[in-house]
Amino acid sequence: MFELIIIILLIITTLVASVLALVQTDLLKVAILTGVSGVGIAFLYQILLAPDVALTQAIVGGAIIPVFLALAVKKTKRVDDE
Amino acid sequence: MIGVDTQLLALLTAGALIIIGLFAAILIDNLIKKIVGLSFIEEGVNLFIICLGYKEGGVVPIFLPGMDSNWFALNSAYPLPQALVLTSIVIGASTLAVMLALAMVLYKKYGSLSTSKILNHKTDMGDEE
Amino acid sequence: MNAMIPLIVIIPIIAALLLNLFGKNNKTIKVIAFIVGIILPILTLITGYGLHYFGGHQPLSLSNISGLPSYISSTGLYNLHPAITYNFTSLSKVFIFMMGIVVFLSIFAYLNSEKRASGPFLFLVFMGTASVSAMMMSDDLFNMYVFFEIAALIQTGIIIASKAEDNYETALKYMIIGSIGGPILLLGIAILLAIAGSVNITDIVNIVNTSLIRSPQTRPIVLFSFGLIFFGWLYASGFPPFHVIKSSIYSKAEPYAASVLQGMSLLTLVAFAVVMFRIFGKLNLFKGAVLLISIMAMVLGVSMAVMQTDFRRMIAYLSVGELGFVGLGFGLGTRFSITAGLFQGINELIVTALLFIGLGAVVYLTNTSNTRRLGGLISKNESMAIMVLLGGFAMAGVPPFNGFRSKFMIIEAALNSGFPEISVIAILVSIATFFVFVKAFYSIYLKPQPTDLEFVHETIPRSMVFAVAVLLIICIVLGLYPGLVTNPIAELIGGLL
Repeated sequence: MFELIIIILLIITTLVASVLALVQTDLLKVAILTGVSGVGIAFLYQILLAPDVALTQAIVGGAIIPVFLALAVKKTKRVDDE
Repeated sequence: MIGVDTQLLALLTAGALIIIGLFAAILIDNLIKKIVGLSFIEEGVNLFIICLGYKEGGVVPIFLPGMDSNWFALNSAYPLPQALVLTSIVIGASTLAVMLALAMVLYKKYGSLSTSKILNHKTDMGDEE
Repeated sequence: MNAMIPLIVIIPIIAALLLNLFGKNNKTIKVIAFIVGIILPILTLITGYGLHYFGGHQPLSLSNISGLPSYISSTGLYNLHPAITYNFTSLSKVFIFMMGIVVFLSIFAYLNSEKRASGPFLFLVFMGTASVSAMMMSDDLFNMYVFFEIAALIQTGIIIASKAEDNYETALKYMIIGSIGGPILLLGIAILLAIAGSVNITDIVNIVNTSLIRSPQTRPIVLFSFGLIFFGWLYASGFPPFHVIKSSIYSKAEPYAASVLQGMSLLTLVAFAVVMFRIFGKLNLFKGAVLLISIMAMVLGVSMAVMQTDFRRMIAYLSVGELGFVGLGFGLGTRFSITAGLFQGINELIVTALLFIGLGAVVYLTNTSNTRRLGGLISKNESMAIMVLLGGFAMAGVPPFNGFRSKFMIIEAALNSGFPEISVIAILVSIATFFVFVKAFYSIYLKPQPTDLEFVHETIPRSMVFAVAVLLIICIVLGLYPGLVTNPIAELIGGLL
């Protein structure tokens, strides 16, 4: 029962973070929310009995992809106003 | 321990992520958000593949010394999808990096991140793109 | 266990890495590229047919292990392939050999026309060759998907490396569409894995054809996975609705790169079409869908080619349309029609490479590809103009070239299968191709030269003339002795049906 609550919380976090990431106007927040969604998926992988995939997803989706996005935002522009 | 609800819930999450990503990639105008939508599609597909290997009441597919191999073969989660997803995560990150590099170059050329200005740009010969 | 089979993939990859490493040293990379370009077709010719099991893991039924528990030895698990298997057949030999010849001639033309060869560009060409060779030989669906993604990245890289204007926009558009098409293909492969339990194609064929198609619960799932893999196949080969982006790629790349790109698309098309035919060939939806898309591709390709004034886009649309003939062969479903379709594929590979390199000489001379501004180039080099004209005739299906043989076989196959309408459409498309090509030839070579045409270089490098001559000779040889190609292909197709 307790596990089911954790799973539902993780799923809600992931989906809400991904939807919020796509409606922001500040592009740096988009990068951070994508990272939150990636880490949520990493926890889901651990619950689905795949620990090595969870480690890879946590690093790639939680650290590498947000850093790439933040670098791209820094070199282009910070707000989405078109 | 955790029932079959886990697999169903995770499959629905994967489907929701794919649909969110598809909507974003097709409808949103800003280039960075389009690329983020594409990464959501890949994450959704990876989650779908891992769900396929789940075994309710099973163990993680790591064979520790001292386990009975018959019990392990019957009770562990299926490791083949996990190998596929490891490759797929890395492929997704590389394509994202290339797309972001192209976005940076195009911003320098056009001064804007709007897809309608960059990708529907008419050439001087008037061919449709 | 044939150790030469992985070498066909590993040697280009090692060459690519070395070329990227020594990118600054012009002479070294020219020598390495030339040597590896020659080695590759020779290696394909001397490798024997057979299977290669990676890691030595054969199916359990072939190895002598006793004492297995009953839930392995008395169920289907006993015959499954546990690891990646590569299968080198006569079909793979023909296609990889021809691709090797095209890549060698394109690299030869490139090395002698540019003073400074670019290491990263040669890296991309060799990795592309390795990836499509692996796709043709691999018997494992996920391995094919990985090389398919590599091929998509390579194609993007080749466009980025060109000097055309707007190449970054085209590359970004191609990657965005690819990031939708690639995951959809992976989803289809995952669904097949879920119901069949394996990613090895031979195992999936056995399981699908014996039990999954018959049962009413799993048949819709098989159809759904067919739909997803079909969509990924459309993206990879440039069928509608992706014909516009594919022809944009061919027209934005440098001409010798475009000949490699169209070879890569063709081999991807053939590899995935053979796989889909083996797995889904018994579904009626397979034949209907492939036929419909192929006819649309043929008609749309030629119609859009008629309207172009840039001859690179014209050849690009023509080549995308000709791939529709290959799909037609698979859609009709008989042994003769699939052999005809694959023979047409080989011919298209050679002829499109000839046209791209030959008309690339025009771009080399004048730095423009707009037919309204060109004219009278026949005075520069008559032999090249005649060879390009003969190449165009070969594409349109004029006897005695190879295009005529393969198109005639396809028309005959369509009549034998009871679809005379398809024969009529094929003949009309060939006539339209002929018309488009003659119009372009006139406006590039024969019409009076406009006074404001400036020449960047004065003569065509001899390597380009040599490359086009070799390709034309192959066209004539295949036109006179089609058995050289059709006999090996027909053997394999007979084994599949």
